[in-house]
Amino acid sequence: MLSETSHSRQSVAHWFRVVCLAFSWSLVGPAGSTHAAERPISFANDVVPVLTKSGCNMGTCHAKAGGGRNGFQLSLLGFEPDEDFEHIVLEGRGRRVSFGNPDQSLLLLKAAGQLPHGGGLRLAKSSPGYGVIREWIRQGTPVDVVTSPKLVSLEIEPKKGLLRVRASQQLKAIARYSDGSVRDVTDTALFESNDKAMADVSEGGLVKVFDLPGKVSVMVRYQGRVAVFNAAIPLGAAVGTLPPVKNFVDTAVFANLKELGIPPSPVCDDATFLRRVSLDIAGRLPTEAEAKAFLADTSADKRDKWIDELLRSPDYADFFASKWTAVLKNRRDDASDIVSNFAFHAWVRDSLLANKPYDQFVRELLGATGTVIGNPPVAWYKRVKQPKDQIEDVAQLFLGVRMQCAQCHHHPFERWSQDDYYSLAAFFAQVGRKPSGTRDEDLIFHKRGTATATNIKTREALKPMALGDEVPAISPDEDPRLRLADWMRSPKNPFFAKVLVNRYWKHFFQRGLIEPEDDIRDSNPPSNPDLLAALEKHFIDSRFDLKELVRAITRSNAYQLSATPNKDNVSDRQNYSRYYPRRLPAEVMLDAIDQLAGTQTDFPNLPPGTRAVALPDNSYNRSSPFLRVFGRPEGESVCECERVQSSNLAQSLHMINASDIRSKLASPNGRAERLAVDTRPAGERVKELYRVAFAREPRPDELKAALDYLTEPRVNAAGQKLDAPRAARENFRDLIWAIMTTKEFLFNH
Amino acid sequence: MTAPNTNCRGPVPFSATGRRAFLQTGLAGFASLSLPGILKLRSHAASSAEAEKKAVIMVWQPGGLSHIDSYDPKPDSGSEYAGPFKPIATKVPGLRFTELLPRQAAIADKMVVLRSMRQSAGGHPAGSMQLLSGDPDTRDKPKPKYPDWMAVSNYMLAQRGPRKNPLPSYVGINPPLEYNGPAYLGDTYSPFVVSGNPNAPTFSVPNIGLTDADEVARLGRRASLRQKIDTLDRSFDHARELGALDEFESQAMGLLTSPQTKVAFDLNREPSRVRDRYGRNAWGQQLLLARRLVEAGVDVLTTSLSGPLCGRVNNWDDHAVNHNVFEAMKFRAQVYDQAVSALIEDIYARGLDKRVLVVVTGEFGRTPKISYAASTGGGDASAPAGTSQPGRDHWPRGFSNIWAGGGINAGRFVGATDKRGEDAIERVSGPGDFLATIYHHLGIDYGTTFIKDFNGRPTPIVDHGKAIPELIG
Repeated sequence: MLSETSHSRQSVAHWFRVVCLAFSWSLVGPAGSTHAAERPISFANDVVPVLTKSGCNMGTCHAKAGGGRNGFQLSLLGFEPDEDFEHIVLEGRGRRVSFGNPDQSLLLLKAAGQLPHGGGLRLAKSSPGYGVIREWIRQGTPVDVVTSPKLVSLEIEPKKGLLRVRASQQLKAIARYSDGSVRDVTDTALFESNDKAMADVSEGGLVKVFDLPGKVSVMVRYQGRVAVFNAAIPLGAAVGTLPPVKNFVDTAVFANLKELGIPPSPVCDDATFLRRVSLDIAGRLPTEAEAKAFLADTSADKRDKWIDELLRSPDYADFFASKWTAVLKNRRDDASDIVSNFAFHAWVRDSLLANKPYDQFVRELLGATGTVIGNPPVAWYKRVKQPKDQIEDVAQLFLGVRMQCAQCHHHPFERWSQDDYYSLAAFFAQVGRKPSGTRDEDLIFHKRGTATATNIKTREALKPMALGDEVPAISPDEDPRLRLADWMRSPKNPFFAKVLVNRYWKHFFQRGLIEPEDDIRDSNPPSNPDLLAALEKHFIDSRFDLKELVRAITRSNAYQLSATPNKDNVSDRQNYSRYYPRRLPAEVMLDAIDQLAGTQTDFPNLPPGTRAVALPDNSYNRSSPFLRVFGRPEGESVCECERVQSSNLAQSLHMINASDIRSKLASPNGRAERLAVDTRPAGERVKELYRVAFAREPRPDELKAALDYLTEPRVNAAGQKLDAPRAARENFRDLIWAIMTTKEFLFNH
Repeated sequence: MTAPNTNCRGPVPFSATGRRAFLQTGLAGFASLSLPGILKLRSHAASSAEAEKKAVIMVWQPGGLSHIDSYDPKPDSGSEYAGPFKPIATKVPGLRFTELLPRQAAIADKMVVLRSMRQSAGGHPAGSMQLLSGDPDTRDKPKPKYPDWMAVSNYMLAQRGPRKNPLPSYVGINPPLEYNGPAYLGDTYSPFVVSGNPNAPTFSVPNIGLTDADEVARLGRRASLRQKIDTLDRSFDHARELGALDEFESQAMGLLTSPQTKVAFDLNREPSRVRDRYGRNAWGQQLLLARRLVEAGVDVLTTSLSGPLCGRVNNWDDHAVNHNVFEAMKFRAQVYDQAVSALIEDIYARGLDKRVLVVVTGEFGRTPKISYAASTGGGDASAPAGTSQPGRDHWPRGFSNIWAGGGINAGRFVGATDKRGEDAIERVSGPGDFLATIYHHLGIDYGTTFIKDFNGRPTPIVDHGKAIPELIG
């Protein structure tokens, strides 16, 4: 979006320089006449772009919602030139422009820093942009919003490129107008790199690539149009022998690595695979017995078989239900929500367990009618009450389109307008509600009638239209939401399958092919388009089979690569040349700790032994400080980013000193207690811990470190020797604590 | 323009050099110094950036203080409005408090009274969210939509670089978190919470300086065992996640085992007369602890004056059903007046008055017009159930807060309410101004700082508002 902090004031000077050097079409440009003073200045096509390039109409400045800055409002990025004309010429008691003496116009005095200006110097008096505005005022501020040639397309040249690390590339932005004219607008267009760690772009369109290999794109924006330059930055290392191709995923991942010259890490060992895939599919560690059996199994297809086994298990449904219920906002705001939250969670979980096709799942959710008890997806309409929230959630979750911006203004770097927003909202216009007899719970029904929604700006009543796609007329008896669901599930729909496969890809690879995973737009291209297309096709061909998608992803050797980098792929962050480790999610970590400590966590109103991944809603974050501290989401947002998987001080304190961790270690039924009195040799007991925690046997050095610790004499603070049983208990508690706080335990790797 | 795809997650606030820096100052340096040594070090470093680091203490009156009965008396508004308390002169000509606040009146030259705060939400949740996070919503909702200023400040300060001080940046002593919190910034920016009554002999702060020698020894043993077996190949750690985790672990170990953090939290290190000056009760000692922690390097400190010292319902929500408002004001006045005046005096006496800004406020004031209703229960400051008693209800249209330290030109009052104390009429200030004033003190550019919410929308930390000129140093 727009500048997160201030406008980039430090770059102002740079922009003057660029503009001065390349003062192009506006005075002597290819489309213009031969002499500046004679050519009439266009407000829409000359003045507004200057305001945009100078940052005047950024959301943080005069386009700030609710009045701009200091009483001077401009439309965001100049999307509404007619409004801008009014604000500049007609408002401000006419002081903003001075026909008699253009240089005394408040607009120029402020922009040029001749008068105090909160935004600082934006347009030096000597700059071409200043000249354009000055000339426009001198010509009597002609307004040509209606008559001016319309911008019909924006192109970027070149469209793609292969750039070496640390190379540069000058981009050119070309605008085409309705009168057939073509202009080079490089100097007034805005450029932005989608990954600033990989490439940066100057105000003048010069791309500089850093030293990370991969795909990067630079977006150019001009007057509401967007074009994208895609660059591949090969590392150019010798790729050598690739792991065998198991399916289409490998084909696409390895082809990309070959193209970029990034040699992948080798396929990981069995123990790593077992732990990784169990955590990723079922949200749990493999048991000791499973680890033993898997490591001993010599069959060639044991990995595939284990994936199928996990997908059949209820643990899969529990884990993915915890993912879906959070973004579907299954949130306990009031104690009375318990019934609907349990029902909704059960519906999601059962749908996943039964492998209900995804399109059907979404259709049942979108088109839900009746009461929560009769039809649990109705609970979503209890959480998400306003049509505005409904379409924003639906668009972001199921279409990967963030429409929030377009409620109030044209999307800053997408084609979505306010009309698009309200015509999507119209699908939800006929959602009827009446009291269900249960407090705070409505019965949801289709209210007979013609669906429309009113654009708050134009006051125009708009018929349902799905992101620019016309839908055939909807009869008053028909529920428009089902038509939306039909449109989504069409194999031609460019969003629906794409966002799901990308979301799931990210689940397994920690990084979406598109990032953020729910922000799909032309200006945010995927890092591997062939792979994304192949996943999309596979998912549609399988009739939206979620388990099959998980199977295809996890069976691939791409998923099974080691996390350990080789000398060449260490800097790769987006091409999946190795597995990218990630800290366990809060619930998974709590379950894993219980599994290691041989304990369980009790949650209110749930049967003893309920695992944290199976919790139906966010309310347990209150009773379990662990879950809150480690970032279990509260169901506030449709964005998975609400889940925090980064570390913080409170987490570290918790692991070291919190009472729940202490009591797990000291539990009389726990593993420490049991191992302390176990009569097997100490080495066997240590091995048990390693198999539980890591699904592997300890290495000799690890075994030695543990055995040394277990046999050291223990004394208390007063120097007295502890008796043997007590020392053993404490030693095993210490050892379990040490194991559960290693990175190897806390991360999936 | 910034990258569009860095939504949602804040950067990891510690850099590669952070841990080293921490180890140097945190253990090798800090740990070997006595407290006087540390103070000396601080005064020596007076010109350094560390010494210039600004801090804020916010003292919160949960439920809302009756401005009429405290800082904005309206003795001539008639018996339906004016309470029984007489106005008294303060050290500032023209500024009068009620007789409930003699000690603050005596040091009024060290504070600025802002009498024209206004917000538009009548409920505790929405009122608190308005004032502390700037959310304009007037409806009560279960969770805040925007992060409060404390979390925002914690986040913004973390962006400045690795923290050198072993104490957390943001500490809440019985903090006002019922309705507020970090929202989309995430729990990473929540406070380090100290709860309980710091005046109680049994008071101890969990996770700070363990006293049990066995425990300390054991933690050390565990940590060194862990170090031996924590052998995961780190070469993958390009995003420095593992490094960040190490930072937090050593910071946590520091908090837990370093005697120096214990010292910062240990009120017994204060001379008796200082402890007496603040008042030997929960509120007095909370404010003393606040001063102590800020002096030791905490940047943001909030503390809520709640509990039995408020009266029967444990807060300032003096509806007639809860309390007899006048009895309640009398009941808590002495302790409140003593603690707040002590804090302000102390801030100046110790030369912290430039660096530390003190703000005392609640989410709103109380209705100027007295209402009568039957008590719902007897107890401190409330007559037995069924007895009619006077109360005052929620009043966001005009109320007072007090400001001290922060380098401000103290000894004056700003703004005014109308003759009955109902509407702020002069120099009206809103939540945006309140927040901007605090951010300004912390050196946070409130005009141009936007933080992305869960949807990636850049959200201004102050939507409408400017630092109040009389309240900036």
